[in-house]
Amino acid sequence: MKRRPHRWLQAAVNLAIVVVLLTALSFLPPDTSLKDRQAAGVLKLCVPPSYPPLVTGDPAQPGFDVELVGAVAEQLGLRLLVNTLPSIGSDFNPRNWSLTRGQCDVIAGGLADTVQTRSFLQTIPTSAETGWVGISPTGQLPAAGGTVAVLPGTSGLDRLALSGWLREQQLAVVPTRNAQQFTEALQSGRAQAGITESFVAGALNLGPDQRIFWLPDDRFPHYRMALGMWKGDQTLKTAIASALGELERSGAVDGIESRYYVKQYITLSP
Amino acid sequence: MTSPLPEAPQGPLPAIAISVEKLSAAYGGRTVLDEVTLQIPRGTSFALLGPNGAGKTTLLNILSTLRRPDGGSASVAGADVVRQQTLARRSLGVVFQDSSLDDRLSAWENLEFHGLVYGMAPKLRRERSAAVLALVELEDWRDDIVRSFSGGMRRRLEIARALLHEPQILFLDEPTVGLDAQTRLRIWRYLDEMRRERQLTVLTTTHYIEEVESADTVCIIDHGRIIAEGSPEVLKSRHGSRWLHVVPRDQAALDAIRAQRPDAQLLGQHGLALPADDGAMTDAFLTAFRDRLTEVRFQDPTLESVFLSLTGRQLRDRADGDRDAERAAGRRGGRR
Amino acid sequence: MNTFVMALRGLYGVWLREITRATRDRAQLIGGISRPLIWLLILGVGLNPYFRGEVYGEVRYVIPYTYLQFLFPAVIVLNIMYTSIQFAVSVIWDREFGFLREVLVSPMPRWLILLGKVLGGATVAMLHGGLVLILARFADVTLSLEQTAVALVLMFVLAFGLTSFGVILAARVRSFEGFGVFSNTVILPLYFTSSSVFPLDPALTRAQQAVTYPEWLVFLVQINPITYAVDALRGVLINFNQFPPLWGPLVIVAMAVVFFIIALIDFNRQ
Repeated sequence: MKRRPHRWLQAAVNLAIVVVLLTALSFLPPDTSLKDRQAAGVLKLCVPPSYPPLVTGDPAQPGFDVELVGAVAEQLGLRLLVNTLPSIGSDFNPRNWSLTRGQCDVIAGGLADTVQTRSFLQTIPTSAETGWVGISPTGQLPAAGGTVAVLPGTSGLDRLALSGWLREQQLAVVPTRNAQQFTEALQSGRAQAGITESFVAGALNLGPDQRIFWLPDDRFPHYRMALGMWKGDQTLKTAIASALGELERSGAVDGIESRYYVKQYITLSP
Repeated sequence: MTSPLPEAPQGPLPAIAISVEKLSAAYGGRTVLDEVTLQIPRGTSFALLGPNGAGKTTLLNILSTLRRPDGGSASVAGADVVRQQTLARRSLGVVFQDSSLDDRLSAWENLEFHGLVYGMAPKLRRERSAAVLALVELEDWRDDIVRSFSGGMRRRLEIARALLHEPQILFLDEPTVGLDAQTRLRIWRYLDEMRRERQLTVLTTTHYIEEVESADTVCIIDHGRIIAEGSPEVLKSRHGSRWLHVVPRDQAALDAIRAQRPDAQLLGQHGLALPADDGAMTDAFLTAFRDRLTEVRFQDPTLESVFLSLTGRQLRDRADGDRDAERAAGRRGGRR
Repeated sequence: MNTFVMALRGLYGVWLREITRATRDRAQLIGGISRPLIWLLILGVGLNPYFRGEVYGEVRYVIPYTYLQFLFPAVIVLNIMYTSIQFAVSVIWDREFGFLREVLVSPMPRWLILLGKVLGGATVAMLHGGLVLILARFADVTLSLEQTAVALVLMFVLAFGLTSFGVILAARVRSFEGFGVFSNTVILPLYFTSSSVFPLDPALTRAQQAVTYPEWLVFLVQINPITYAVDALRGVLINFNQFPPLWGPLVIVAMAVVFFIIALIDFNRQ
C-alpha cells in the first residue's frame, strides 16, 4: 500500500519554500548607502559647536554623541570626520541649517527622537533623554498671569504644544534667542520662571537659587536623544544600529555614558 | 398503486421512507413535475425510470431539500423537506449525477470532510471511512488526490461517501455511469445487504434499463408524470410484449416477409422484428418462412419495450448518449 | 450540547478543507508572495531615491517614516485583498463543479457552511498577509511580538470582511474569466485610493488636504474603507495614524459584519 508520509507534508514544504525565499530576500540591501561609505572609507558626522554633554567642542572630551559615533565608525572600519557646523541650531526651521547629504552622513548633538525629527530623518535613539524643563527658584511655574522666559532649543521638541499649554495656563511668554538672553531674563526678574529643553538647562550657568524641574509628563513626554540619518540610507542605518548593539553588549557604551553622566545629567545639575 | 409493505420489524421509524403528495415543480413556466404522488416503503429499492428531462432529477433535488416544490408536499424519513430540512438531510445519503467530490483533496480527505460535516465523532469517522473505502475497493488509493482518479473510481468514492454516515435513505442519481460490471454487482450486493439488515431505502433514478431490473419497484416517469409503477415483472407482463427477431436469407425473402407482415419492423440493414405475443400467428409465420431465414431469436419483454409501448419512444436514443459523453468531456476539460 | 459539538465539527470540516486546498497549491502560495516582492523590492527600492532626504528639513514626502516603512503595511493589505477576493473563485468553483451540493444536502445549516468557508478563506488570506511580515527586516520595520499579534488579529478581521465581499461578488459573477477581469478592476482602484502609496498629511486640516491634492481624490480616499484598514495596520506596525486611531479597527469590524450579512442573504437565496 502506498501512503503519503503525512497529509500536511506537502503544505509544510510549500510554506517552508515560501518562508525561506522571503527570509533570503529580506537580507537583500535596499540601497547603496553603506557600500558608498565603505568605498569612501569615511563616516561624516555633523554636530553643532556645542551641546553639552552630547557635544562639548573640547577635543579631549568631545562629547557623548561624538564619542559614540566615533566608536561606531571604528566598529564599521570607517574613519570618523566631524563636521562642526555653527548653522545647526541657529534657526527654528532646520531647513535654514542647510545640512545636505553631501556634508553629513549622521547628524547628532541635539536631535530628539520626535515625530517632527522623524519626518525628515530616520533615527537611532541613544540613552540620553530630553524634554521640556522649567527653571525657577520655587521649583514650580508661577500662577496665572505670571511671565515665563522660553528658550526653545533645537532638538525638535514640540514648540506648538508648549505655546498652546502656556496660553492655557495664562502665562505671558518672554521669548529668548539664546542662553545669554534666557539667563538674563531670569536673573533680571523680567520672567518669574524659564522653560527650556533639559540639556540646554543643564548647560546654563544658573545661580544657586534656581531649581530645575520637568514640566508635567502627561502633556510633555520625555524623548530619547537620537542619531539622525537620511531617509533612504537604510543599509547604513542598519549597520550603525547593529554596531551600536555590539558596543552596548561589549560595555563600551556604558563607559562613554558614565564619563558624560548622560543619564543623571538633570538630577546632578543644581 | 402502493406496494404491500414488507414484513419489516416495526421500529420507531416510520414504515414509509419517502412520501410524495401531489408534488409540482416548474422551471420558467415549463412544468417539470405534475402532481406526482409516491409512497416508498422502508427497506425497498425503488427506481425512477425515464428519459433525460423527465423530471427525475428535479424530484430528487426536492427530496434532498436542494429545491423547494412549487406545489404539494414531500417528506423523507418522516421529516418534511421544506419545514424540517435539517432532520430530513440527516437521514439522507445522496450520490449526484455529476461528480461532487473535491478533486484537490485525497479520497480519505473527502471522506473526512463528509464525516465532519455530518458531525460524526472522530473514532466512528475513521472506522466508517475505512469500511466504506474497503467496500468500493479504493483502500490503495486512500491518500491519492481525487483529480487523478478515473470516472469509475470517482463514482465508487462518491457512493462510499454517501454511505459513510449510515443514512436511512440513499439517493442514487444515475449511479452506475462509468462503473464496471464487477464493481456494480458488488455495490448492489452491499446495498441489498444494508436493506435487509438496516432497512436502508434506496431510490435510484436512471435512464439505463440494466440499473432497474433488480429493483423492487420501478416507476416510469415521463414529462413530469408517473405513467406506470410496479415490480419489473408486473410491468413487463402488463405492458411489455414478446418480439421475434429474424434475419432473412436474402433481399427477396425480406421483401416477401414485409409484404405478408406489415407490422414487421426493420432492425438494422438485414434484420426484422415482429410482434410475437400471438403464438399461433408466430407459428404460422415460422412454418412459412423456415427455409428463408438465417437467424431466429425470441426477445422476451424488457422494460425498454415497456417504455416503448407506454410512450411510443425509445427510452434512450443515440443523441442522449452523445450528450452524456460531451458533458463528461466538458467537465474534465474544465477541471484542468 | 450534542448538536453544538456536531455543528463545530462541521464548521471545522469546511474550514479545514479551505486550508488544505490553499496550502497544498504551491502556485497559489508563490503567486501570493510575488505581489509584496514587486511592491517592496521593485517599487519601494526603485522609488526610494526620490523620497529620501537631500537637505535636512526639506522633504517633500513628510511622513515620519521612510517610504519603505510607509509602504509596508499597505502591501500587507494588498496581499490580503487579493487573496480574499480571489477566494470568490473557490466559491464559483464549488458552485459550478457541484461540490456545493454535497455540502448543501448535509445537515449543516447554511449560515454555518458560509461561516466555515469565510473563516477558511480569511485564515488563508491572513497567512498570505502574515508572510509579508517576514520582509519587515527589509523594510526596516521592527516588530515586537505584541505588535505582530495585534496586527494578525486586525489582518484576520479584515480578511474576514474582504472574503465575505468576495462571496458577494461570486454570487453576481457567473464565469471564471469574467471574475479575473472583474477582480482586478475592483482591487487595484481600491488599493490606489487607500492612501497606500501616498500620504494625506495628518498635520494638515481637511481644507488643506484639498489644497495639496484635488478634492475629488481626497474624497475618494476618504470614502474608501480600505484607507482605514491600511491606517489601522500602519498604526500597529509603524505607529503612524493619519486618522483617529480608533477609526481603522472600527471600519474593519464594520466591514466584516456588514459584508458577512450580505453574503449570507445572497447565499440563502441561491
